[in-house]
Amino acid sequence: MTDATLNTGGESPRSSLLTQDAHTKRRNRAETRFRAYGLAAILIGLFFLIVLAVSIIRSGTPAFTRTVVDVEFTLTQTQIDEAESQLFKTAAYSGYFIDALKRQLDERGMDVAFDEDAIERIVGKPGSTIREYYRASPDRAGTPVAFELAASSRVDGYFNGRVTRDTIQDSRFLMEADLDLVDALAEAGIIRSSINWTFITGADSGVDNPGAAGIGASVVGSFFMMLVVLALSLPIGVAASIYLEEFAPQNRFTDLIEVNISNLAAVPSIVFGILGLAVFIQFAHLPQSAPLVGGLVLTLMTLPTIIISTRASLRAVPPSIRDAALGVGASKMQSVFHHVLPLAMPGILTGTIIGLAQALGETAPLLLIGMVGFVARGYPDGLAAGFMDPNSAMPAQIYTWAARADASFYEKAWGGIIVLLVFLLTMNILAIILRRRFERRW
Amino acid sequence: MYDVTRTERDVDQADTKISARNVQVYYGDTHAIKDVDVDIADKTVTSFIGPSGCGKSTFLRCINRMNDTIDICRVEGEIKLDGEDIHAPSVDPVQLRAKVGMVFQKPNPFPKSIYDNVAYGPKIHGMTRSKSELDEVVETALRGAGLWEEVKDRLDTPGTGLSGGQQQRLCIARAVATQPEVLLMDEPCSALDPIATALIEDLIDGLKQQFSVVIVTHSMQQAARISQKTAFFHLGNLVEYGDTDTIFTNPQDERTENYITGRTG
Repeated sequence: MTDATLNTGGESPRSSLLTQDAHTKRRNRAETRFRAYGLAAILIGLFFLIVLAVSIIRSGTPAFTRTVVDVEFTLTQTQIDEAESQLFKTAAYSGYFIDALKRQLDERGMDVAFDEDAIERIVGKPGSTIREYYRASPDRAGTPVAFELAASSRVDGYFNGRVTRDTIQDSRFLMEADLDLVDALAEAGIIRSSINWTFITGADSGVDNPGAAGIGASVVGSFFMMLVVLALSLPIGVAASIYLEEFAPQNRFTDLIEVNISNLAAVPSIVFGILGLAVFIQFAHLPQSAPLVGGLVLTLMTLPTIIISTRASLRAVPPSIRDAALGVGASKMQSVFHHVLPLAMPGILTGTIIGLAQALGETAPLLLIGMVGFVARGYPDGLAAGFMDPNSAMPAQIYTWAARADASFYEKAWGGIIVLLVFLLTMNILAIILRRRFERRW
Repeated sequence: MYDVTRTERDVDQADTKISARNVQVYYGDTHAIKDVDVDIADKTVTSFIGPSGCGKSTFLRCINRMNDTIDICRVEGEIKLDGEDIHAPSVDPVQLRAKVGMVFQKPNPFPKSIYDNVAYGPKIHGMTRSKSELDEVVETALRGAGLWEEVKDRLDTPGTGLSGGQQQRLCIARAVATQPEVLLMDEPCSALDPIATALIEDLIDGLKQQFSVVIVTHSMQQAARISQKTAFFHLGNLVEYGDTDTIFTNPQDERTENYITGRTG
């Protein structure tokens, strides 16, 4: 019998291990090809990631610097009173500023001819800033004050390389002659680039004042929203998942709920936005633009994600663990909370962080509840207070800036993206640390 | 704690610990256990043997109502523990399982430390008042499972880091720690090598002096070695039940004989 089976192969000689037959070769080629595809896919992904990172950093870094004009001058109370008595008060302050600037240039022995219009084109309208300052602290009248005034967005662009002498050939907003003045001022150290703390800590500004625009207020807004989302969606989501997965009877009703949860996860976020508008603002009369409302809307959006991932990780806990707990006389709830939940915790955290990251980057629902295009008044006093005060969120703020005409806002939008990504990265790192801690407990 | 003078001859006179009458189990439409009557004696080892899928594990899981956790499973009939019906409405299955411990086919220690594994049962049942008392219970249980000497220096290392045989003995220690009256074992040695198996068999022999042990096994040699009573299941029926010696040397039913002589199964 053994002989017979050996001979059925016919006359073909015994194949050598040292040479590959055609079939093996084909198989190996297929595997090599597949590996090449996989590697190519990863390289393409990596390439785009690098392109993204480089472009974000290149376009976004100018947002973190700004061009300022240093002018030190003293206004007497008489001068202030005189300015306040005029019809165009800020123009009067501007006049004082220009006089001071002239004096400063003369002192340095520079002889550059410039007029009021050129100053206005370079510094924008400094009068209002100066007036605001003296109104806020009237006791500074009579003493020298060092002003650091934001330059206009085009001068800022000139320093960042966005604006060149060629690009302003036909511009009415900045003349080539003005740039000579800017160069001279820069040489004298009066106009310079500095770190833009206002961008990191400040709130949004008016459309014609990009120098004062900041992302800080919306970072606070996003932070409050994330707090609301985390505080609501994690306990509700986990409780719902545990009930559905471990306690609920299997019947039509629970099947229906399951299908609905899966569907909810795929509902466009703007739908949640209009729901939030209808329920939280129009029906429940919660304040518009409040982080609380934003958080509630994003909670609705995040819940399905958390429930789905939590159920998946509960299901991944081996049933033998449940048996073991029940076998020693633990109740159902004890077996879930002592054994199943801790084992599922890393998975739950991963799902939660994915849900939160999604919520953090969500813009569409916020548009509908008025968390966009909003100028924070009285920042920071009005905002740190919290959940009910009007605020914006990072992605909504970025959207607002990107939609504005001034190219300087475009830079801010990129800068905002950097801040958003840093926020996201911090959140993820926190989640990884937490997950490690949970995993190390056994 | 136990009566050391008790010998195997006393088995017949031993009190009935568990008595089952007309037990039927259905999995959905499948009739998995058909009309099983059995009396299990106190302080003996009773083994359930039979071909795969004959219902022996299912019946074992009826005794501590583990089948309650399976939605489609339905149990009928009467099972009494010390004369008390375990299906009575006032019986809390959790309380029952504290009295009727269980060791599973695959070692399933909790992914916690060795100490926590054993201490878990006593903790949730509030059996100890102090840490030192708990330490004592853990040590006694681990000694009872013959594991103390091997793990006493690493009680805080994870139970899942032990070898398969050690894990199974840890599971036995965990079950013993709650001081059950009956210990159910569902093929406890099927995943173990012969040396680990021998250790556990010795252990079972010792355990029967404290409580009754019901063991499901695929190995007829094992049943013959460790049990005083044997029940043979076939296609959901309890075919034959009696003294192990009788079952193996002088089976009454043809199906039993075919199985133990290796002709079916």
